[in-house]
Amino acid sequence: MTKGMVYKSIFILLLITFSVLLILPTVGTKKMEIRLTDSVTAQDIETINKRFSSGSYKLEMNDKIIIVSGTNITDAIMNEVKIYTGVADVKLLKHWVETYFLAKKINLGLDLQGGMYLVLQANFEGIQAKLGRELTEKDKNEITQQALELLRNRIDKFGVSEPSIRPRGNDAIEIQLPGVKDPSGVKKAIGTTGSLEYRLVDDKYTAMASAWFAQNYKDKKLPESQDEYKGILLEISKAISLPDTLETLFFYNRNKDTGAVVPEYPIVLQKEISLNGTDIQEATVDRDEYGQVVVVFKTTADGAAKFAKATSEPNHGKKLAIVLDNKVRNAPNIKETIASGSGNISGGFAYEEALTLARIIKEGALPVDLRIVEERTVGPSLGQDSIESGVKAFAVGIIGIMVFAIGYYRMGGVFANLGLILNMIFTVAILSLLGFTLTVPGIAGFLLSVAMAVDANVIIYERIKEELKKGKSIRIAIENGFDRAFWTIFDSNLTTILAAFILFQYGTGPIKGFAVTLFVGIIVSMFVALYLTRFVYELLALNKKMKKLSI
Amino acid sequence: MEKTIKFLKYKYIAIGGYWAVVIMLLAGTFINGGFNYGIDFAGGYKIIAKFQDSSVSEGVIRKALNDFNPTVQKIGEESKNQYIITTKLENTAVASSKDSADQTSNSKYDMLKKTLNEKFTGVSIQSEETVGPAIGDYLRKSAWKLTFMAVLLMSIYLAFRFEVKYAVGGMISLFHDMIMSVAFCGIMGIEINVQILAALLTLYGYSINDTIVIFDRIRETDQLRAKTTFEDVINKAITQTLTRTLLTGVTTLFAVLVLFLIGGEALHEFSLVLLFGIIAGTFSSIYIASPITLWWEKWRAAK
Repeated sequence: MTKGMVYKSIFILLLITFSVLLILPTVGTKKMEIRLTDSVTAQDIETINKRFSSGSYKLEMNDKIIIVSGTNITDAIMNEVKIYTGVADVKLLKHWVETYFLAKKINLGLDLQGGMYLVLQANFEGIQAKLGRELTEKDKNEITQQALELLRNRIDKFGVSEPSIRPRGNDAIEIQLPGVKDPSGVKKAIGTTGSLEYRLVDDKYTAMASAWFAQNYKDKKLPESQDEYKGILLEISKAISLPDTLETLFFYNRNKDTGAVVPEYPIVLQKEISLNGTDIQEATVDRDEYGQVVVVFKTTADGAAKFAKATSEPNHGKKLAIVLDNKVRNAPNIKETIASGSGNISGGFAYEEALTLARIIKEGALPVDLRIVEERTVGPSLGQDSIESGVKAFAVGIIGIMVFAIGYYRMGGVFANLGLILNMIFTVAILSLLGFTLTVPGIAGFLLSVAMAVDANVIIYERIKEELKKGKSIRIAIENGFDRAFWTIFDSNLTTILAAFILFQYGTGPIKGFAVTLFVGIIVSMFVALYLTRFVYELLALNKKMKKLSI
Repeated sequence: MEKTIKFLKYKYIAIGGYWAVVIMLLAGTFINGGFNYGIDFAGGYKIIAKFQDSSVSEGVIRKALNDFNPTVQKIGEESKNQYIITTKLENTAVASSKDSADQTSNSKYDMLKKTLNEKFTGVSIQSEETVGPAIGDYLRKSAWKLTFMAVLLMSIYLAFRFEVKYAVGGMISLFHDMIMSVAFCGIMGIEINVQILAALLTLYGYSINDTIVIFDRIRETDQLRAKTTFEDVINKAITQTLTRTLLTGVTTLFAVLVLFLIGGEALHEFSLVLLFGIIAGTFSSIYIASPITLWWEKWRAAK
């Protein structure tokens, strides 16, 4: 062995060690920590135990913490457990490799782990009308970014961990929420367009409407669908012969048990809008000087004047309703004129209630109209089935190829298989470094790259065989074989790389995933075949006594 | 090994046969009612629902949801009682204006779910997808753009690294692959969606790879050519690379076959397209790409 070869060996060994380390968080055992609430019951714990009762999980419990370990623990499972009763918090514990190196585990796409995928498209017409000019691409980009921040807030509040929220182009936002059980809830939370208005309440007619409602709908349950409410509201308005300037809406409250927002009683409002949602700049929860929970808000410069007008002397004692998407969510009393542009709403709120209100006001300030244009939800079991059968098929496929390779090329097949294993390790390692998300098309890309890795070996070995047939010595045959195969492999793979590059640059979500695996896979397979395998054969060729090459 | 198989002797039969198959597949597709664009490209609503009641069948569901004009298809194991229910925008009356379609169709999908729950007991929705018309349009356009750019870039590379005749042969062969594989999706009623698009792209990658290995050998053999014709050179090159072509083809086919057999529902149609496409792609490398290159060479020489 020459000195160069020694260095090369050391380099290769280091590379392999590092790569194996990098793939540990992805293929190794993962741990999830479940913290239980103080009021957790034995039954709650039983439910958790049952969820992880299948053989592949291990549970450790001490005090109020359960540690689940297993190879199949995903964000979706984390989010699923999070909403169990008696569970305070769930988090995936970081693998030590993740802590010390740059590696991240490869996330599974929603098609594989289950969850919800949404694309929201921004509609700028409203803003353009307000500004009275066409928005530039830069404006649109900025507004989308702003909406993105707000959406992130909303989703964080929803308690979904590991959400992915990304802009798509200048006017759309892509949201991925692993393991969401209640898509309609999420959709409502993030799809609310924020048509928030502040309108004055008419007490006289409200009293009449309430009386009528109490009499006619006392025992009857309210219908389920939104559309039917409109009918009832019209009925009420007609019954109390409401003037044209007024409108009846329902006052909504959050049901404490179910968490659903339900209509409680009718309330009559001015049709005229005193203040728009966008006239408010921010809203936060705070405590006033008496220690009461209040919602503090600040208006925009424009809004301050409007607010001063709405809270002026004649309106003192009246209520100002906060109307979100035609639902009255709150109606605080006007106590004094607020001209400074900042004020607060008090009302003996529980902290949660105040938080919800502040949230509503903030959401009203969301400046852009977002519409869901694409939505995909995959149930957890379907995703689970996909990943299990996908992995199984992949494993059987690879083993079959390996057996075939050994059967055909003997010793050469063994080296080819080693190369194939290294190929997969390197690919997964690089994808880990990139923080990649694996989807079904991604598996396809991976498969194609494995096929090309096999192909590279076949091309090389066939060349070496040809050279041997021509009567060349083993050393020369190996050298010529690799040299000649080099450009064949290079050219054929480079065209594929070009295609992958285009797909990556201009493709959307899943196609991008396909392109990345293909791209990385092909580069790695070229490296393994043309560098590593070649090196192994160069080492073999050092053995001058070798008479026959098993290939 | 020394014997050269005269592949190109049969080029007319092969190309004729190839086109006969393509025409048959396309004709069958149109008799069956054209291509089955998935909601990714057409826009629409798709759910996978699991029914408790085992007496449910495709026909029963279709009848119950008649108002929505759905396609219903049973998937997975018999005992699982799982069905894919799809309604596309073009099937419904609401697709008239883009804006209103976004709005009304959403509530329409809720209606569909509601009807399903009313008419059957114990329905659990396994997955649910909605794609608006604008997105379908966007995805379709970007798919075309991608294909076009990828082909263009590969042609330029081939023309640069090899010669124009190889670029022409490679690209015409690639277009053949595209027509053949899309026709196959058509006749099998395979839903053309983003995943199938990925499978198709995989095929084109595989096929062009296969073609270039042969071209590379043609180029090499051509440089050593003495008195033989270009056709003989091509035959020799194909023969010499035949072992490689078959070995790679068989191993890849094996991997895909396993995926098809035990890869589960998500990969079923996907691997079916790959299975067919790998065979077609291998064939096109030998019998489309090579004859085209030969003809181009002859045409240039005659000029």
